[in-house]
Amino acid sequence: MTEIALGFATLMDPAVLGFLLIGIVAGLIVGSIPGLNDNIAFAIFIPLSFSLSPTYALALMVGLYCSCAVGGSIPAIMVKVPGTASSVLTAIDGHAMARSGKAGQALGIAITSSVFGGISSALILLLFAPPMAAFALRFGYVENFSLGILGMASVLGLLGGSLIKGLLSAVLGLLVATIGFSQQTGLPRFTLGLDSLYEGVPFVPLLVGLFGITAVLELAEELIRDRRKGETPREMPRITDSLYISWKLSKRLLPTWLQCSVIGNVIGIIPGAGMLMAIYMGYERISHRYKRLFAGKPGEPEWGEGAPEGIAAPESANNAVVASSMVPLLSLGIPGNSVSALFIGALMIQGMVPGPLLFIDHPDIAWMIIVAFLVANVLMWPISYAMVRSISGLVFHLPKYVLVPTISLLCLTGAYSDENSMFSIGIALISGVVGYITRRLGIPHAPLILALVLGRTIEDNLGNALAISGGDWSIFLEPTSHPISLALILGAVAFMLGPIISGSRKRYRARRQRAEMEVRG
Amino acid sequence: MRMIWLSKGLLVGLALAATSAFAADYPSKDVHIIVPFKPGGGVDTSSRILAEYGNKHMAKGKLEVENRAGGDGVVGQTFAAKAKADGYTVLAMTSSVVTNPILKQTGYKLEDFQPVALYNTDPEVIVVGAASPFKTIAELLAASKERPLTVTVAGIATSHHMAGLALEDSAGMKFTYVPTTGFGAQLQAVMGGHVELGLFPLGEIKKHADAGTVRILAAASDARLDILPNVPTWQEAGLNIKRWTTFRGWAVPKGTPEAAVKYLSDLLGKISTDPAYVKQMNDYGFPIAYKDAAGFTDEVNDYAEVTTRVIAKHGLKEKQ
Repeated sequence: MTEIALGFATLMDPAVLGFLLIGIVAGLIVGSIPGLNDNIAFAIFIPLSFSLSPTYALALMVGLYCSCAVGGSIPAIMVKVPGTASSVLTAIDGHAMARSGKAGQALGIAITSSVFGGISSALILLLFAPPMAAFALRFGYVENFSLGILGMASVLGLLGGSLIKGLLSAVLGLLVATIGFSQQTGLPRFTLGLDSLYEGVPFVPLLVGLFGITAVLELAEELIRDRRKGETPREMPRITDSLYISWKLSKRLLPTWLQCSVIGNVIGIIPGAGMLMAIYMGYERISHRYKRLFAGKPGEPEWGEGAPEGIAAPESANNAVVASSMVPLLSLGIPGNSVSALFIGALMIQGMVPGPLLFIDHPDIAWMIIVAFLVANVLMWPISYAMVRSISGLVFHLPKYVLVPTISLLCLTGAYSDENSMFSIGIALISGVVGYITRRLGIPHAPLILALVLGRTIEDNLGNALAISGGDWSIFLEPTSHPISLALILGAVAFMLGPIISGSRKRYRARRQRAEMEVRG
Repeated sequence: MRMIWLSKGLLVGLALAATSAFAADYPSKDVHIIVPFKPGGGVDTSSRILAEYGNKHMAKGKLEVENRAGGDGVVGQTFAAKAKADGYTVLAMTSSVVTNPILKQTGYKLEDFQPVALYNTDPEVIVVGAASPFKTIAELLAASKERPLTVTVAGIATSHHMAGLALEDSAGMKFTYVPTTGFGAQLQAVMGGHVELGLFPLGEIKKHADAGTVRILAAASDARLDILPNVPTWQEAGLNIKRWTTFRGWAVPKGTPEAAVKYLSDLLGKISTDPAYVKQMNDYGFPIAYKDAAGFTDEVNDYAEVTTRVIAKHGLKEKQ
């Protein structure tokens, strides 16, 4: 209890609270602009944040992270252009509802669902992170190695799409992580004789490139494509009805909110799985419920044609991922997704390391982050309602050709200021181009980021665990002295085998269906 | 002949004029303190405190801290070594300026620097977790002679690793080294009982010892420290090492005018008597240890001699 009070005390500094508010407003705007998202905003902001007090910088990031997904739903509903990837599903029913003259209701549902999901996830963070952090101190080198393996396995296992591409991405990340001096020998490797690579590829410029520069290149590409097509100006959307949703509708949506919050929170805590997986799982699950209870009844649209649940499900699921993705980061130092990985950069710049020690060395910061998620989600409600009308027009007034040079400039300035060197700019540009090419090839970035973060952890802990065990590898599976490690390794195996088993089950079912058709045919 | 004499005389005259003009003018603009690490660490924090108090005494211009991180300090150290020797570029000099050129292929040598003044030293301490069976240094010493103990150090070939090697040489202790990349990870290993002891610079561990989560068994200072009256020195504990400290000070590129070196050295001396400065440095865990240019040069040479011996004996050098 005293710790929570400490968090509140730190947060209630008017300046800190001010930065939290700025973050919420900025998140709504950033999210509502297609092409911009929280990753890019953080990539730009982090290198510039070291002149700020850590409490200010982190409060701003928490605010922005919370409200970005809400911002993304605004253009998704109004013009069917998702502002962020997390609102692709909201666009389906949301826009259908807006076209039928109920834009206000659609936005109201999106905001309220987001706040519900967000608060649930902030409570999970408050309840889970601190006890997990206390427990994590008991993790030694053996356990940390196995935890790293579990993290890598979960991101690969939960990844939709091609397993090969996911593996490629992870291997690329692991390879980059080997650059720099080796902890076991104290000698540099793969540094090409460059002093600047002794400590490995600098993390912040790398993130700036991978998120910021990649986004700039993609925006530029879209710009060229739009030019060629001769973009037709869209009609300005209008909100004619009330934004406030009725008590009756809230009661009806409650089961959806609860189910999707559970899904979002579970997905958030597992390292590697992101918002996209949460919204697809939530949407899929609620679609069955809707078809069973409401579809076909008078006054109820078909699923996908303006169902309120079709907005409530993805919006509560994506915001439920937000704070819960900070649970593994704050307690174990392992990011839940790529956005929480960026919090590592922000903490590092202030000389802090996320993980159990953060609660011992900087309890005010650790608890402020936790409390800030709760407060941000509560504040997000009135702020979103107040701002939604003005933001919905914004997307039309900000042309892409303004965004491209602005973001480039901010990214390069940020990269430079990280170490005051042109070398960092080079790193940002190279990783931006590599990021762009890999995205074009359909290679996901989540495994790469996690591998970059975990590569060193895995290698260093492996080395140290073997130093202590005298080179005995069975130490990782020893049930009496290292039961946690054994459980983590088994978990990793399950994550890797899961998709293979379900994949072969799907193939088996498909084969059987074909066979049945042939029989019938 | 006359011409040559004349021109020589002219040169000497010009040089003299330049020096005296320099002495009167220095400092005429901002002095940049190059911190070869990212913001937030011990060197950065202490440099910023120094700049804050130093600026009260600067005749003209300001002390500006500039971070040039990378390469374990090598990037910023090389930058400072190659900077113009005019007294306006100062390196925040740490022990790694001594060991980096020996261990790695750096673009500078220790001789490229002129030490200005020392402001803080940090003695190495032997630390065990609160739950450790070792209550005294004698118990630890005895155990380490029977079997290798696991010891965590902040990186192979760092001053802390070398302290361990020196203990093996002079006290007959045996260690298995468990390197980490930072003091935080090291602390976690000691607190969690994942290793049997740790070698730390005092500044990084003092507040945790005060909090009771770890115990300091012995400190490598010349005499018992005021802040640790009950902790024996390494010499008293029979480890046969008189002193093992890392240091923080200022250095300038070789060839910097004597007047500038003296000005900066005196400036650090003046700040060191400011009670507010002393209190703030102590609060952060950087006890004041002022030495002027000559004293700091001795300290650097002492350290170079000891570490060169350890590096050569244990083959820590990068293969070339």
